[in-house]
Amino acid sequence: MTEKKSEVTKSKEKAISYFDYNLLFLVIFLICFGLVMLYSSSSYICANSAKYNYDAAHYLKLQLRNYIIGAFGMVFFIAVPYKTWKKFGWLAYFVSFVLCVLVIFIGSESHGQARWIYIGPIGFQPSEVAKVGVILFLAMLLERISKKLKSIKSLAKVFALLLPIIGAVAYNNLSTAIIIMGIAVCMLFVASPKYSHFVVVGIIAVIFAVVFIAAAGYRVGRIEAWLHPETADPDAVYQTMQGLYAIGSGGLFGKGLGESLQKLGNVPESQNDMIFTIICEELGLFGAVCVILLFMLIIWRMMVISNNAPDLFGSLLVVGVMSHIAIQVILNIAVVTNSIPNTGVILPFISYGGTSILILMCEIGLVLGVSRSIRLESIR
Amino acid sequence: MAKKVKKPSPKLSRGMRKKLIVLFSLLTVCLCALIGRLMYINYTSGEKYEKKVLSMQSYDSVTIPYQRGDIVDRNGTVMATSVAVYNVIMDCSVMTSESKVDGEKVQKYLEPTIEALVECFPELNKATLYQYATERPDSKYIILLKKLPYDQIQPFVQLQEAVDEKGKKINPNIKGVWFEKEYQRKYPFNSMACSVLGFVSSGNVGTIGLENYYNDILNGINGREYGYLNSESDFEKTVIAPQDGSTLVTTIDANIQSVVEKKILEFNAAYTNNHREGDGSINTAVIIMNPNTGAILAMADYPNFDLNNPRDVSKLFTEEELLTATTEDKMNALNQLWRNYCVSETYEPGSIQKPFTVSGGLETGALNTDMTFVCDGHETISGSFIGCVALQGHGVETLEKSLMDSCNDALMQMGRDYIGVKDFTRYQGIFGFGQKTGIDLPGEAYTASLIYTEENMTTIDLATNAFGQNYNCTMIQMASAFSSLINGGYYYQPYMVNKVLGADGGTISVTEPTVLKQTVSKGTSDLLRSYLYNTVSHGTGSSSKVDGYSMGGKTGTAEKLPRNQGNYLVSFMGFAPYENPELVIYCVIDEPNTADQPHSYYAQNLAREILEEIFPYMNIFPDEETTGINAGLDITGTDPYFMGERDGDYLPVADSVGNEPQN
Repeated sequence: MTEKKSEVTKSKEKAISYFDYNLLFLVIFLICFGLVMLYSSSSYICANSAKYNYDAAHYLKLQLRNYIIGAFGMVFFIAVPYKTWKKFGWLAYFVSFVLCVLVIFIGSESHGQARWIYIGPIGFQPSEVAKVGVILFLAMLLERISKKLKSIKSLAKVFALLLPIIGAVAYNNLSTAIIIMGIAVCMLFVASPKYSHFVVVGIIAVIFAVVFIAAAGYRVGRIEAWLHPETADPDAVYQTMQGLYAIGSGGLFGKGLGESLQKLGNVPESQNDMIFTIICEELGLFGAVCVILLFMLIIWRMMVISNNAPDLFGSLLVVGVMSHIAIQVILNIAVVTNSIPNTGVILPFISYGGTSILILMCEIGLVLGVSRSIRLESIR
Repeated sequence: MAKKVKKPSPKLSRGMRKKLIVLFSLLTVCLCALIGRLMYINYTSGEKYEKKVLSMQSYDSVTIPYQRGDIVDRNGTVMATSVAVYNVIMDCSVMTSESKVDGEKVQKYLEPTIEALVECFPELNKATLYQYATERPDSKYIILLKKLPYDQIQPFVQLQEAVDEKGKKINPNIKGVWFEKEYQRKYPFNSMACSVLGFVSSGNVGTIGLENYYNDILNGINGREYGYLNSESDFEKTVIAPQDGSTLVTTIDANIQSVVEKKILEFNAAYTNNHREGDGSINTAVIIMNPNTGAILAMADYPNFDLNNPRDVSKLFTEEELLTATTEDKMNALNQLWRNYCVSETYEPGSIQKPFTVSGGLETGALNTDMTFVCDGHETISGSFIGCVALQGHGVETLEKSLMDSCNDALMQMGRDYIGVKDFTRYQGIFGFGQKTGIDLPGEAYTASLIYTEENMTTIDLATNAFGQNYNCTMIQMASAFSSLINGGYYYQPYMVNKVLGADGGTISVTEPTVLKQTVSKGTSDLLRSYLYNTVSHGTGSSSKVDGYSMGGKTGTAEKLPRNQGNYLVSFMGFAPYENPELVIYCVIDEPNTADQPHSYYAQNLAREILEEIFPYMNIFPDEETTGINAGLDITGTDPYFMGERDGDYLPVADSVGNEPQN
């Protein structure tokens, strides 16, 4: 690369800079839609409970706050050239690991599992941080060793590197561990020239899952609830069945926005993991398919950005984010439709969340940052 | 610019692009599969689940209590009201909820709230409260205290709401206690007009008196907060505000009522344990009404009871009796106590009947003012000896003098020889005996079977009925009939309620005085009024005279069944002023507690004492020269006639009926 050419390139980049507004607007639309659904699903419970000071907008306000903080994160990651993060790959790896180990010892409990770390009044979930940490780390690593990825040995090495983090996360949050695992597999899948390895990895993943299910006793009830929801212990399948009732009762076009009956106290955590069931009930099959199509569009935009990224690091970053969002959407909807055993995965941009919202917004920022450095003439 | 030639970053290779598309496809396939799954659920179970959702919906509703209407007297004095009281409810689920403090989850509400509870409600036990919180942490509704008045819950509310100068709550951690509003019936005057007002049993059920008769008007409609499914099966939540009950403005005047009750108590205090153990009489009852409208100004009877504690039996039984008394015994005793003597009890009126016999005779033309009768002290009818008040005989009696002397002999002759069964019974009917007056009080006695009809009345019945024995009436019948006798002949329906006011204070209905019939002509009424005036001024009713006031009246001394036991029901019926009567007073004393019962002056004293106090209050002014009559007499004052001050030969036995066949 000569000096002159690089000058020309730079000026061209400045002249015709690309930015994926499609993705930005898709995300903004989804966020707005998510806020409406969050209010719809949580307002009744909040307005009728002293716990929330009878404030119908309790969750809406918190979520708005989270999105405002998240927006700053997104803008930050758009503004800072994504290549900067290449240097922080290992740092991200270690920080994630340390946090995930730390949470085991000093974490605060919620729903029976210690998942939170508090720094003063601000709490966050290290497992969420680990997701973006792993994406950064893997993008950096895989770009560096992309030539060697043909061998199963280097694949195994990468997994060995990831295992501490995944293990630490899995210690008290299996679903997030599965998601991180999934992200890693997807990124490796794209980076590696081979297909056959991934069949093997798939098999390993299945074994991994079975071992974990067997090891963690409390999850066995969930398996039973999954396989035979109508006959299992009613307490164990309560959430699942209520979710199914909500989905089933929506019909083709739903009961109308705000008209859900199941949100009136039947579906637990209706503003959280189960929010998709309320969407199904209020907006029907039509609304649910629209939401899924929106996610598909987002994934498609990310694929396009990944495809046109100026370097492999950028491409893999976008693949990581894309697979993160896709896996969470798939797992969440699979859970509420009782397609897989019940596990707590939130629906990106729609469910209530704190750390997860911030992380998601940062990830979108990363992707948009990558899109910014695409040279327009190189788009295919 | 060539400081350092960087190794160019690798780009996405062709293979990678392919794999990216494969990955995208895989993810898309997964999402499509989930769409398929959603469709499957809807297709196979949609209807079933929809029904399930509808069936699970609890249409929980919360009742918002209405406020029962007040009962006030004619001047607006509150006699019965419903005051808001508060139950203290503990919501453990809120109290024990956890929140984060410095990263730690703590139950920060529990201790401050329980401390505040114990501080503000000393009757609560701290250990018990902690026990509730630990044993039932999810319970939302534990009633700690019941029916506290508003000011008793204020310390807690103030503690909870207290703010510092910046408007920040001082005690933000007091949470999980709320107050459930209820209404409790209160009677500010306790026993005043007890059997007239009545009381309320749980659930706002009026049990006796006006509370019972006007239960539906006093009660409002509970409000509700509830959810329901509308025609499109959508869930809706609605709050219906409660409708408070209407207020009764009674015809009672609390001042007159309190004078009456005070005097009744005075009478009883004077005669309690006098001759026999117990109250001053079996029953003492007084009605004061406005003869020109039928409005009852006061209605009282004794023994009375406390409306705020109507089921207290401690006064009815001795302690030993209480140990053995069954619930039924107690209930019977209470029912007896709760009876309103003035409308529910029947008795033989005695000589109060005499003006009715005379006026009936005058109306039919059977009698005229020129007639005279010779009283020889008794009459023998169908072989029965029936004595007069003066066994040696009153001698020649005119109509007027027969009333003034309360002469049985003359009245028997009028009935038997002149009026006859047909007209006598007809006039009993015209005066309303044997019929209900229709007063707006529950439990009015029906006396149709207690009077004679044309078909079954014998000569002796006619003779005894003519002076008020041998048939039964109620006080309200007698007072209403008497009002018509002295007001020009207009029989007004007696009534208790002047107005009904809505919860907002607007008038819903006003009772117009109702003339039911004309009993006697104006002329007869005027004539009787003058006869009765003289009865008070110069006759047997003189003990009732309030010096300086023109009044009329008639005494009654009825021998009770079984005869010849010395048990009498004495009474006095009076009106004032003479020209335009503004009030009618009827006092009945059932078996005064004395050795010597048959004297109407017991009732006359009571009437006089009451009238003395209420004339000034009612703006009835002295309209006669004072004569010093009855000066210095109190409620136990003795009949001047009896004391031989005027007619030394006056016999105490007024209306004794000897040896008459009982039926």
